[in-house]
Amino acid sequence: MAKWHPLFEATESFFFIPGLTTQADAHVRDSLDVKRFMSFVILALMPPFLFGMYNAGYQSNLASGASLTLLPVVLKGLLIILPLVVISYGVGFFWEILFAVVRKHPISEGFLVTGLLFPLTLPPTMPLWQAAVGISFGVVIGKEVFGGTGRNILNPALTGRAFLFFAYPAKMSGDAVWAVVDGVKTGAVDAFSGATPLSIAGLANAQEKIEAVLKAADYPFIKLLLGLYPGSIGATSALLCFAGAALLVVVGIASYRIIIGGIAGVLLTGYLLNFLAGDSSSAWLSLNPFYHLVMGGFAFGIAYMATDPVTAPGMDKVKWVYGFLIGMLTVLIRVFNPAYPEGIMLAILFMNLFSPLLDHIEIRLKIKKRVINV
Amino acid sequence: MISIHSKKGFDLNITGSPLPQTSPRETPVCVALLPEKIPFVKPRLKIKEGSQLQIGSVVFEDKRNPVIQFLSPGGGTVREIVFGPRRVIQKVIIQLDQEEERVSFPSYTDSQLADASRASLVEAILTGGLWCLFRELPFGDIPDPDIEPPSIIVSIDSREPFQPHPAVYLKGKADLLTAGIKILEKLSSSVHVSIHQDSDMPAGLAKGIVTHRVSGPYPAGDAGVLLYRTKKASAENRAWHISGQDLLLLAELIRTGQYPVERIVTLGGSLAREQLHIVTRMGAPLPHIAGENTGDPPRRRYIVGGIFRGYIAEKDSFLDLYATSLTILPEGDEKELFGFARPGSDKPTHSRTFLSSLKKAPFTVDCGVHGEQRACINCGYCDDVCAVDILPQFTLKSALAGEVEESLAHGLLDCVSCGLCTFVCPSKIDICAVLKGAREAYYKEMQD
Repeated sequence: MAKWHPLFEATESFFFIPGLTTQADAHVRDSLDVKRFMSFVILALMPPFLFGMYNAGYQSNLASGASLTLLPVVLKGLLIILPLVVISYGVGFFWEILFAVVRKHPISEGFLVTGLLFPLTLPPTMPLWQAAVGISFGVVIGKEVFGGTGRNILNPALTGRAFLFFAYPAKMSGDAVWAVVDGVKTGAVDAFSGATPLSIAGLANAQEKIEAVLKAADYPFIKLLLGLYPGSIGATSALLCFAGAALLVVVGIASYRIIIGGIAGVLLTGYLLNFLAGDSSSAWLSLNPFYHLVMGGFAFGIAYMATDPVTAPGMDKVKWVYGFLIGMLTVLIRVFNPAYPEGIMLAILFMNLFSPLLDHIEIRLKIKKRVINV
Repeated sequence: MISIHSKKGFDLNITGSPLPQTSPRETPVCVALLPEKIPFVKPRLKIKEGSQLQIGSVVFEDKRNPVIQFLSPGGGTVREIVFGPRRVIQKVIIQLDQEEERVSFPSYTDSQLADASRASLVEAILTGGLWCLFRELPFGDIPDPDIEPPSIIVSIDSREPFQPHPAVYLKGKADLLTAGIKILEKLSSSVHVSIHQDSDMPAGLAKGIVTHRVSGPYPAGDAGVLLYRTKKASAENRAWHISGQDLLLLAELIRTGQYPVERIVTLGGSLAREQLHIVTRMGAPLPHIAGENTGDPPRRRYIVGGIFRGYIAEKDSFLDLYATSLTILPEGDEKELFGFARPGSDKPTHSRTFLSSLKKAPFTVDCGVHGEQRACINCGYCDDVCAVDILPQFTLKSALAGEVEESLAHGLLDCVSCGLCTFVCPSKIDICAVLKGAREAYYKEMQD
């Protein structure tokens, strides 16, 4: 029985703050623990999560020609999203518990966040078994092989998503995956394309303005900001993602340096690319940089993924650099690499790899200024 | 006067802080010395159970340097010598006589003091048993009397929670403080006297005495933080420090030729019967200070030496040589249902994740950990409160990996063990203990 202690402990500590007391100095401790820390991320995820549920139902009903009133849309959204979330948590916890029992470490609350982040990055049509494979990869290869939460070098949820993206591209890209369509398409709904703003933008010709193309496809800027369009479940509403980010910054859990650095990276890179734009160059080059903020998953990624403290740098100054480079890479991938319509996922994973180096540089510079004491 | 602002740190606003009033206690039945609580010292006893002692008789000396002696804080009979595991001398308990006798030591008038040589003063302090009040940075060991330190730092108010207010312990003792600083000036060419900007001091005292005015949250007033903020070269690292109250004892010894045994200690904490300053004897029994009886709730903790740096004391123990505070707090071993989801308008915290962070009122703290230990998630809260910028989250990892050079480069020896990194850690890692352990291991290695 003793080897199941991590499971028992996890269950107990879900309900209770344990009555452990300090054994030496410091005798008093802050009331904040990792569980509350992670709970705030989940709280901040609620707006995009709830909206994503509504949006998934809305797009599905729109594509299927069903009712677009609130109740049926929400019910439909629940039917689509809940199984994904349940699978993500269920399969992820299985691996967490297995590793906790075998390697005799406690189950960390970090997974509560990963388990919710992961399904929100998926298209709503994701087959459940693929979601299960994705979260397994994310948890096992992204985190547990390194020793669990706190020791991973890559964001586990994004690792899972990247695995699915490359393993099952048919289910992660294209125009058909972003809305669940019931039954046979009737003529009335054939007009529904299901294309995401990023893929529409990618089709724009050199002479066209992406803004105009998007507008023609009924994706004006304000709609992109609010998020009622097909896309990854939680990532469509930039407004709500930034609201969640604001909450995390206010309570001091996410680093404003990363978020502001990321936004600055997107805007500045987008702005500089405008200068490169010529008559025959890609339409992407002349895109208003603010569109990069609201299209696709940038807002979601920078708010919830890039700010993961474990995989981000720990030093304050290089957090600006880290955020900025994520923003820059996101735009560069979108603009120059048509094979990947979405850049934020790879940008964050790539910069995750550089966090230790960034930290190392800033620490060396800081240490140089110290008066040596040996 | 130099102003120094230390931005990082944290002032924990808690209930039960002692009022700036004093309450005398009657002479206790017995007093004690606690050799175990004096860091690094290897005591060699000079007395036996049943020995007759005067105030100021030698009780034990340090085997490493026998000129450093520890004297009896009371006149009477040695009632008991308590040994712990591996024959560690825990307590020497002295039953006090009705009329206590005193050993007399050489005394100095002001003019004699002005002419005295360093060697004669060092000799006077050594035989007077108060050399142990000096501590050498960074390890906190008792310094070698033959070495002239780069500087001596007097911290009049360290601003550690619940330590005696300077306005209380300096009241009417301005001349002693001046004399004390004169003594220090004989011992070192550089004497820094620091006071915190927010400390209340008896009027007029600051003039001409204080060299550094510090500001900022705890531990801004700490001697180690002052050194970190002011040092320009590595040669300054081995500075000595002495607290303001200890300096008064030193001055009293030199001026009167008598071993001073009066101490002002604070009694505080939410479970203390009263929260104020107590005038008592060095080595007095804790129950005598707490003024408690057997009817008090059992789940309370006695902390001697402050909530961040002190140790848990048995309820029948005594004040140790350096102790200036007794704090009584609830143990806090109750489980809390759905604690992580509560708004928490009454929870002390450095973070902004509880409603309490919007309130200015003091909160009641207990000794609960409020969570379970997890791996470090690199949140960096410890760095936000580290007054000496050692990047605790990174130094912790290098210390745990046994990378001594790396830890030292990070500034391990600048750490003042303020305990704030451990306090704020949401993963509940005892960072301060790891750093302290690494430092002590390094010191032992250096000595061997």
